[in-house]
Amino acid sequence: MEVIQQLLTQLPKSIVLTGKENTRPFECDGLSVYRQNPLAVVLPENIAQIKQVLKICKDNNTSVVTRGAGTGLAGGAMPLENSVVLGLSKLNQVKSIDAENRLAVIEPGVRNIAISEAVAQYGLYYAPDPSSQIACTIGGNVAENSGGVHCLKYGLTVHNVEAIKMLTIDGDELVLSRHDDGLGLLALMNGSEGLLGIIIEITVKLTPTPAFARVVMAGFDSIRDCANAVADIIKAGIIPAGLEMMDSFAIEAAEGFAKVGYPLDAKALLLCELDGTQMQVQAELDSVLKVLSGASTLKVSESEEERLNFWKGRKSAFPAVGRLSPDYYCMDGTIPRRHLADMLEKINELSKKYQLRVANVFHAGDGNLHPLILYDANIGGELEKVEKFGTEILKLSVDMGGTITGEHGVGVEKLNAMCHQFNAKELAIFHKIKAVFDPKSLLNPGKAVPELHRCAELGAMHVHHGKLPHPELERF
Amino acid sequence: MSNRIIQLQQLIKNANHLHINSEWLAYAGVIEYYPEELVITVKAGTKISAIQAKLAKHNQVLPFFIKATDISIGAAYAKGAQDLSDCVLGVKIIDGTGEYLNFGGQVIKNVAGYDVARLLVGSKGKLAVITQISFKVMPKAYIGKIKKPYSSKSDNPILREIEQKLKQVFDPRSIFK
Ligand SMILES: Cc1cc2nc3c(=O)[nH]c(=O)nc-3n(C[C@H](O)[C@H](O)[C@H](O)COP(=O)(O)OP(=O)(O)OC[C@H]3O[C@@H](n4cnc5c(N)ncnc54)[C@H](O)[C@@H]3O)c2cc1C
Repeated sequence: MEVIQQLLTQLPKSIVLTGKENTRPFECDGLSVYRQNPLAVVLPENIAQIKQVLKICKDNNTSVVTRGAGTGLAGGAMPLENSVVLGLSKLNQVKSIDAENRLAVIEPGVRNIAISEAVAQYGLYYAPDPSSQIACTIGGNVAENSGGVHCLKYGLTVHNVEAIKMLTIDGDELVLSRHDDGLGLLALMNGSEGLLGIIIEITVKLTPTPAFARVVMAGFDSIRDCANAVADIIKAGIIPAGLEMMDSFAIEAAEGFAKVGYPLDAKALLLCELDGTQMQVQAELDSVLKVLSGASTLKVSESEEERLNFWKGRKSAFPAVGRLSPDYYCMDGTIPRRHLADMLEKINELSKKYQLRVANVFHAGDGNLHPLILYDANIGGELEKVEKFGTEILKLSVDMGGTITGEHGVGVEKLNAMCHQFNAKELAIFHKIKAVFDPKSLLNPGKAVPELHRCAELGAMHVHHGKLPHPELERF
Repeated sequence: MSNRIIQLQQLIKNANHLHINSEWLAYAGVIEYYPEELVITVKAGTKISAIQAKLAKHNQVLPFFIKATDISIGAAYAKGAQDLSDCVLGVKIIDGTGEYLNFGGQVIKNVAGYDVARLLVGSKGKLAVITQISFKVMPKAYIGKIKKPYSSKSDNPILREIEQKLKQVFDPRSIFK
């Protein structure tokens, strides 16, 4: 093929992978149920090479799929048919650190945790902490506007990025900064899933490492009590550094895996982290313990070791559930916190309806739910059943005034659900925004925003603007 | 949909030139406020002072720099500032063809679709009529003295061209002056 020939002749051979055997490691991202082989994978070592790839692809009308570490959970970095994958993992240098102004300039392929490691010597860290932080790259984080456990207090990626440098499909370099007068282009690039441009440099904001942190672990006899406790903590004027919730199945799985002393008789578990100066933490702790006085078990971490131990269970919840089932499907809807208990009850009903087990792990502080639906892909029809189940959960999220995806992105996975959240006019605006940056639609085309005919065929359009399902629910 | 929104849609559909301000908008008031959600949803013509008064009852604040409190929240949004943008969760707008559209929502984490709610911060009333905005709010105790944000105009012609094309997306008839 012409495009492969040009890549091989115009770039160092060592950075161009072709042939199924060589490109196979790139055929999917973290959502491995969807796979596709690309024409080629290029792993550029500098910006000039990226520009060359873009030029070749543009000349040959070939689509480009940008890739960081491939840990995305929505198929965002999955190759498209006849596409070239642009893998940025070799651009992995921290270029400069400005400790005084708490900024660092980094290349897109730097891993999230590596930023914090590089700046730890200055008493600083990079706050957004997706659970995948040992592997995922900052470029991928910006492209997904990734979150983590500490978003409620410290913000998402978009709040912690000072500026970016990007390449348009034409190879033009643009610098977008928080301090630009005019439209919010920097915010637009956050969460753009590789559809608008290639992010080639990021200036991140750094946060002083808190002097103290303690975790309160509270077990509850009912899910509703636990969900109410979440609201009560916020009502008491406390913003915890992290506020996570697990249901009994998730508790059992995590405890079986990590042996950290979670209460196995609890119906729900809350982990509430408080950080700051010793005085701040003590004051917050007093209030939180008062609010949580109705819990069936209550423990406060007494040492740094114990604090990390409390988190260990939560952080290993996904692999722990993975041990109990051949496959699981991770959902990512977000709802207003006041609907947490209702949502959990509905998920339980659906679990019975579909005869599929669900473990619930939440970023409760910001209403972001990660129900894990357990299934076995080898059983015919099971995946289809899971997808139907998942779609019902996402529709519920929208109907409750929330969203189909809080942090994992749409990718290829949630295209149908997008039809439920946005009407044709809103989707048309998204398509036009893409066309402003990428008129020939060569950057990750077909992902993130569904084609209008797809939604029309689903018959899902306008559901939330016309007659609403679940009229009993309070909504926006 | 409220009567005023339907009226505004008609006005926009029939207009050739419009200069948007809060008097013309005539759409003010707090729509929803849940202190335990840390979210307030307001009509764009609402005075900042009115929002502050509502929040103060629950010891909460708009956690961004506020220069004047007697202007509307829509005006502050249209003028734009990064710290204000950080708190925006969702908007409802009427575009230059009179369509009433919803982007973002009332939740802190939301990555469905492009972030139009933050893209339009700083749009100076030239892309669309902002009718409703949801903000993240914070307990007062967590917010220290807020520094005045600064901004500067980039002189990159490609950026200017992108902004011009984005105006076309929202206001294809070029009615918002
Ligand atoms: C076990 C596990 C736990 C996770 N936990 C979390 C979590 O807590 N919070 C969370 O938010 N996410 C989480 N994720 C999802 C994932 O890690 C994030 O979405 C992450 O930001 C992806 O980074 P990446 O480098 O792997 O990007 P990739 O998967 O390679 O790419 C993601 C998307 O970004 C685009 N992209 C990548 N780099 C660039 C670039 N430089 N320029 C333009 N576009 C680019 C790609 O085209 C693709 O659409 C988790 C994933 C796993 C597997």
